Amino acid sequence: MTDKTLKLPEAGQWPDKLVAPALIAGAVLTTIGFLMAFFCVAPVGGATVNGAELIGDVMVSQKMLLSQKIFYFHMPVAITSFLALGFGCYYAVRFLMTKNRRFDTCSRICLEIALLFVVLTMITGEMWTRFEWGVWWSWEPRLTTYLILMLIVIAYFVLRSSVDEPERRATFAAVVAIIATIDVPICFMITRLIPSSIHPVVLREGGMSPEMGLCVGLCALGMLLVGFALYRARFNQVRLTQRVDAIKETLDDER
Amino acid sequence: MNPAITVEHLTKSFGGRKAVDNVSFTLPEGAFLSVFGPNGAGKTTLLRMLATLARPTEGVITLAGINLKEEPEQAREAIGLISHNPMLYPDLTAEENLLLYAKLYGVRDPQKRVVELLDAVGLKHRRLDRVRTFSRGMTQRVSIARVLVNDPSVVLLDEPYSGLDPHAMRIFDELIDSVRENRTFVMVSHDLDKGLALASHVLVLARGRVVHFGEKDQMSPGEFADLYRTTVGMGVS
Amino acid sequence: MEDRHGAEASGNSDSLKRSSLGETAHRAVSVAAELARSEHPESSDASSAAEREGTRSALCQAPSTWTQYKTLLAKDLKAEFRTKDMVVSMGIYAFLVIVVFGVALSFARPGAEFLEVSGGLLWALVVFTSLLGLNRSFAKETENGCLEGLLLAPLDRGVIFLAKATSNLVFLVLVEVIAVPLYWVFFSSFAAPAETGWLLVAPLVLGSIGIAGIGTMLSTITAATRGKDVMLALLFVPVIFPLLYACVSATTCALVGGDVFADGFLTSLALGAGYDVVMILASWVLYDFVVN
Repeated sequence: MTDKTLKLPEAGQWPDKLVAPALIAGAVLTTIGFLMAFFCVAPVGGATVNGAELIGDVMVSQKMLLSQKIFYFHMPVAITSFLALGFGCYYAVRFLMTKNRRFDTCSRICLEIALLFVVLTMITGEMWTRFEWGVWWSWEPRLTTYLILMLIVIAYFVLRSSVDEPERRATFAAVVAIIATIDVPICFMITRLIPSSIHPVVLREGGMSPEMGLCVGLCALGMLLVGFALYRARFNQVRLTQRVDAIKETLDDER
Repeated sequence: MNPAITVEHLTKSFGGRKAVDNVSFTLPEGAFLSVFGPNGAGKTTLLRMLATLARPTEGVITLAGINLKEEPEQAREAIGLISHNPMLYPDLTAEENLLLYAKLYGVRDPQKRVVELLDAVGLKHRRLDRVRTFSRGMTQRVSIARVLVNDPSVVLLDEPYSGLDPHAMRIFDELIDSVRENRTFVMVSHDLDKGLALASHVLVLARGRVVHFGEKDQMSPGEFADLYRTTVGMGVS
Repeated sequence: MEDRHGAEASGNSDSLKRSSLGETAHRAVSVAAELARSEHPESSDASSAAEREGTRSALCQAPSTWTQYKTLLAKDLKAEFRTKDMVVSMGIYAFLVIVVFGVALSFARPGAEFLEVSGGLLWALVVFTSLLGLNRSFAKETENGCLEGLLLAPLDRGVIFLAKATSNLVFLVLVEVIAVPLYWVFFSSFAAPAETGWLLVAPLVLGSIGIAGIGTMLSTITAATRGKDVMLALLFVPVIFPLLYACVSATTCALVGGDVFADGFLTSLALGAGYDVVMILASWVLYDFVVN
C-alpha cells in the first residue's frame, strides 16, 4: 500500500509556499515601475521622432509621449512570455527524455503562461502601433514574430485537445513545443534580416537612459515574479486534479 | 531449454494508471502462450511492448537473449506481428507488399522467398492482384506470409481472428500450426476456446496484473473456464 | 467460399483444379512445413553470419540503410503512380486556386506593380496545394496500420522520415512543374517579368524542400488526431511562415529584377536555406518520438 501511495502524482512541494509572496511582490514591483514610468522617467526624445505626419499639433505629440509609456509594460511582458516559452521547451525536452508525465504538465502550463503573456504583449504592442504608426497592424518583424508565436501556441492547445491517448498527446505536444521554440527566433531573424526594399521596416535607436533601464528592470522583475506565481499556482492545481483522478482510479481497482 | 521470452517486473504506466502492472513470466522456446483477460486488462499493451512498439515504464523484456530496451533494432529482426490490421498497402499487389517487407528486413533472395511464401499460403495465383481486391480471409493469409518474410523466431498475434469467418479461421489455424516448429508464439484473443486449442501456456491478466500463469496441461479446459470466470469474468459477460 | 470466388474472378486456370477449399489449405500447410525454420536451404552458407548475429534468420543479411530508403521511396512512388490520386487532386486544386486568383484580380489594372504581388500569389498557390497533398500522404500509411508494419522492421525511424519527405517532395515538384507555367499563362498579360525571372526556380526548389520536410513531420503528428485537416493547416502555416517569407522575397526579387534583385535575392535564398537545414534537422531528430 505504501508503495502505491508513493506512485501517486505528487503536489504541493515547497515552491508552492512562494506563490503568495511572489504574487504580492510582483504586483508591488510592477506598480512601482508603472508609477515611476509616469512620474519619474523623463519622456524619451527618440520615441517622438518617427512618423512626422502624425505630429501635426501639440495634442498629438502629447499623446505620443504618453503612448510611449506603454513600453514599460510591453517589454517586461514580452520578456516573460519568451522565458515561459523557453521553459516550456526545456520541460518538453525533459519529457521526451524521461516520459514522465510530470514534465508534460510543466511544459503545458509553461505554454499556458506563455499564451497569456503573448496575448498581453500583442495587446500592448497594438496600442503602441496604433499611436506611433497610426495603423492597427503593421507587418513589422517583432509584431509578425509575435503573431506567429501566438498562432503556434494556440495550435499547440488545439492539438492537445484533439488527441485522446494521454501519452501520445504529451509526446506530440512536446514535439510541437520544441518546434515552436526553434521556429520563433528563426522567424524573427528572417523577417528582420531580409532587406527592406520591398516594404520598409522601421528601425530605431534602442538606447535607454539609466533611469529608464531601472524602471524597465523593476517592471520586468515584477512581471517575472507574477509569471512564476501564476505558473506555480496553476501547476499545483493541475497536479492536485491529477492526484484526485489517480486516487479515484486506485479505489476503482480495489473494488 | 533456453527461455525464448523472459519478462521481469514489467510495468507500463502514464500518470497514475498502470496499464500493465508488475508482470513477470518466462516462456521456453517453441511455446505458444495465450493471453486472456477482459477489455482494458493490458493484453494489447503487453503485446505492443513485446513487439517494441511501446516502451515499458519499468521492467525488462529479454527476447531470444536480447534486451529489448537496449537493442530494439536487433530484436526486431526476430519478431513478427499479426494483428487485425493487415499492415499491407491496398494499392500495391500482394507480391509488391511482401517484397517491400523482404527488402526492409534484408532477405537475401527476396523474389524467391516471396513467391515461396505466397505459394505456401495458397495465394500464388493472386500475387499480381492488388491487396485492395482481396477478401478479409485472403488478406489475413497474406499477413501470415508477410510475418514469415523475415523468418522470425517470435511471432505475436493480436486478435488475429477478428473479422474472419469460420472457414478462414480454420485455414488460419492450420497455417499457424504448420509454422510452429522452432518458433515461440504469443497470442492475445477474446476467444477462450480458440486460444486454448493452440496454447501450450496460458496467461490471464486482469487490471494489468497476472492472475494466472502456467502450462495449459496443468488444468482441464473446464477448470480453466471456471478460473477465468471467477477471477476476471465478473465484470464481463 | 471467398477463396474460390477470388480465384475464379482472377481467371486463373488453377482454380479449376481446386475441388475443395480444404485442399487449398492442405497444400498450403504442406508447403509451409517445408518452409519451417529448421529447413533452410540457404542456411549452410550463411550459418556463420546467423550465429554471429544471434537473432537474425539465416535467410536475411544486415539490411543497408540505403536499400531501405530506396525501397520505401519506391513503394510510395509505385502506389502513387498506380492510383495517381494525390498528384491529380493536387493538380486540379492548384488549377482551381488559379481560377480564384483570376477572379480576385479581374479588376486589377495590368502594370509593373503586378510583379510585386505575383510572387506572393504564386506562393499562396504552392502552400494551399501542398497542404492538400500532405494531408493525404500520411492517411495512406495509417489506413491499414502500415506504419506499424514499417516500425516493426529493423529500420531507423529517420529513414522513414527521409523516404516520406522525399516522396512528398517529388509529388509537390511534379505539381509545381504543371501549375507554375499555367500560372504564367493565365497572368502573363498583366506584366512581363524581368530577365532574372527564371531564377524563381531557386526559391521554388528551396521552398518545396522545406515544405516537404517540415510538412511530413507535421502530417505524421496530425494523422493521429481528430479533425486532422484543420489541425495540419493550423500547425503548418505558422511553422512554415519564415520560409514562406524568405521565398516570397526571393521570388519577388527575381521577378522585379534590377536593383531589387541585387539587394535581396541571395540574402533571402540564404536565409531560406538556413531555415530548411535547421528545421529538417530538428524534424529528423524529433521524428523518432513522433512515430513511437
